[in-house]
Amino acid sequence: MAADKDNGDQEMSGLLKSNFGRRDFLRTSAAAGAVALAAPARIGFAQGGPTINMQTWSAAVDTVQSHVNAFTEATGIPVNYGNAPWAQYRESMVTKFVGGAPLDMMWVSDAWLPEWAEAGWISPVDEFDFLMAYNAEAEDFCTNSMTYNGRQYGLTYYTDFMAFLYDESKIKEAGFDAPPATWEEVVEQSLVMKEKGISDYPMMLAMAQESWLIEFMSALVFSHGGRFVDDDGMAVMQEKDKGAVEALQWVVDAVNTHGIVSPACVETGELSGLKAFASGNHAFAMVAKYRLRMLNDPEQSQIAGNVKQAMMPKGPNGDHNTVGWMRFHGMASQAAQDKARAESTAKLIEWFGGKANGAYTFQKFLFLDIGAGFGVKPLFDDPEIRAAYDAYGNVDMIQAQQALAMKKDVVTPWFGEWNETNGSAWQSAILGNTDAATAVMKSAEFWDELKQDY
Amino acid sequence: MRRLFGYEERSAAIFLAPVLAVLMGVAVFPILYSFYLSFFRIKLTRPNRTPFVGLDNYLDLFTNDLFWVSVARTVTFSVVSVAAILAISLLVSLLLNQNFRGRRVLSTILLVPWAIPYVANALMWKWIYDSGYGALNGILYQLDFIDKYMVWLGDQDKTIFLIANAFVWKEVPLATILLLVSLKAIPSDLYQAARVDGAGVWQRFIHVTLPAMKPGFMLVLIYETMMAIRHFDLFFILTEGGPGNASHVLSWHIYVETFRNLSFGSGAAMSYVLALVTFALSYTFIRSLGRKV
Repeated sequence: MAADKDNGDQEMSGLLKSNFGRRDFLRTSAAAGAVALAAPARIGFAQGGPTINMQTWSAAVDTVQSHVNAFTEATGIPVNYGNAPWAQYRESMVTKFVGGAPLDMMWVSDAWLPEWAEAGWISPVDEFDFLMAYNAEAEDFCTNSMTYNGRQYGLTYYTDFMAFLYDESKIKEAGFDAPPATWEEVVEQSLVMKEKGISDYPMMLAMAQESWLIEFMSALVFSHGGRFVDDDGMAVMQEKDKGAVEALQWVVDAVNTHGIVSPACVETGELSGLKAFASGNHAFAMVAKYRLRMLNDPEQSQIAGNVKQAMMPKGPNGDHNTVGWMRFHGMASQAAQDKARAESTAKLIEWFGGKANGAYTFQKFLFLDIGAGFGVKPLFDDPEIRAAYDAYGNVDMIQAQQALAMKKDVVTPWFGEWNETNGSAWQSAILGNTDAATAVMKSAEFWDELKQDY
Repeated sequence: MRRLFGYEERSAAIFLAPVLAVLMGVAVFPILYSFYLSFFRIKLTRPNRTPFVGLDNYLDLFTNDLFWVSVARTVTFSVVSVAAILAISLLVSLLLNQNFRGRRVLSTILLVPWAIPYVANALMWKWIYDSGYGALNGILYQLDFIDKYMVWLGDQDKTIFLIANAFVWKEVPLATILLLVSLKAIPSDLYQAARVDGAGVWQRFIHVTLPAMKPGFMLVLIYETMMAIRHFDLFFILTEGGPGNASHVLSWHIYVETFRNLSFGSGAAMSYVLALVTFALSYTFIRSLGRKV
């Protein structure tokens, strides 16, 4: 072996000395460089089409990667998959868009849709009929949540809604046969529980300034029959009976008059509230429905087996409505500019948000893997999914509540800015710095100001 | 000219050039560019609308109620924190300047808060202050100081002081070391001379120790004031500016404007105002106290 190597070195050395001049070296280097530069391009347009750049936040990474691999195998279209933490996702994506980073398909939150669409970073997908065909089987609020200015921007990735959960053992201990159906009954049952020493603060509300806050507020407002804004985007939150004042007043009274919600709710985030509920500190909680699985898991919850879901209580003018939210697979505008790339991207969107090999494979994977909700109705009839749900929840109740979920009405290009002020206004009312009507009025005025500015 | 551009000067310039280039790229250019940005209404989510607005971003600050709220919160936080740091670090440095058994162990323990990263410190205090399962409630309850768990960070009257407490806990070790250095530098013959003149412990402290510690005090005052005014981590992790606006300090205001609202123009303007205030305060301290040192 050593001898072979020595001979080879001598040959190469001789070649360089005898025939291989400086010009040859430069020519060969240039040719090698050109080949190297061309290589990625060749890879990019391999067999099934250009490489699609897909960006997601860091959730179910292995499941996503495996589904990506299956797509490439099935279509021959290579996919360059990257992910970033959820907490920095919006900022990192905005930076990528502004910087012109290669992006074709990405996960989008319904909260960012107007902002990204107005900026021209994402493109509607409603020109692809094979994608639009899936709307027939999707929940209405899901389709609405992906629609902006009459155009649809993607297919569902995951959806969920704010659920009203209760600890059945505490309800029984308090002497009630059924969970509360109205917000008034929540107060009545809670007061009894307080009196009997079952819980100091029976109702758990997480009202800290964090991204979940708008979901909690929206669920309260919708279930009271109110809205933040009307269909034309005009603020109605300040209007009595059909706005947000009644819902906020209920929270203010719950904290300050009845003492059934802890004054610490303004510093309680969703996760802290969930832990407190799982520890058995409360009888009622408003949390995302997918938390039901964790709350009935004996390894994670001290009240496992007792946590049940009820329809969202309703206010005097309301119904059992709640808020639903959406994450979807969207297409970047730069992909839409190139026909071949757009078609490949649409295929990838279908593979994830629609059917892969004839079934809603990815949404089912996600549900079974991390309990993420799905926005397509046929999956409620899937025996495997029903069996999984039955282990910790009531699938019919889940389906009924999901049907009453509403899209957040405040999602606009100025949503982020308004949300900060609105959150502070609600907290100020809860803290007693101002009354509910004034707090909501301040929020409405800021809404109008931003609307005008945009 | 020959002296200015001789061999040594040219060599120095060549060797320094790479470092200067890096500094220009990562420090000078961003500073100048952000100043330039502060004259535009730049919002990343509106990439096609970035008009030149002159001084509007600066002038808008003065009509923004929330900006003034943040100024008031920052002043409260800074005054309370710096006063507490100065008082506690003075006492601890005087203690550590004495010879007693276990002094070295105590000095080492003192460094622990300083060694903990800011974010870890904030998370630790979040647990301590939690109204449901926090250590503070647990201890007070077990000692019978309270009959039910209290709301800490959620109580707007306490929030800023509780955050100041977490900040003081982290900053006292460094301030103590700086003051201890000043103490160690006092010549012992000054104390001997004071004793000969009949000065008691208190008189020696007032007339010898305190004046000699002024450089240390000034250093701690300037450094901690700058740290307090610009502090962000604790506000981010403990309260996110809440409840209400109870902990909405300037640094939080800038963060929200820049990274949540993605308004880089006004965010840059606010940052320059903050930098200017910090610089003016430091300059005032140096001018007023420096003369007396």
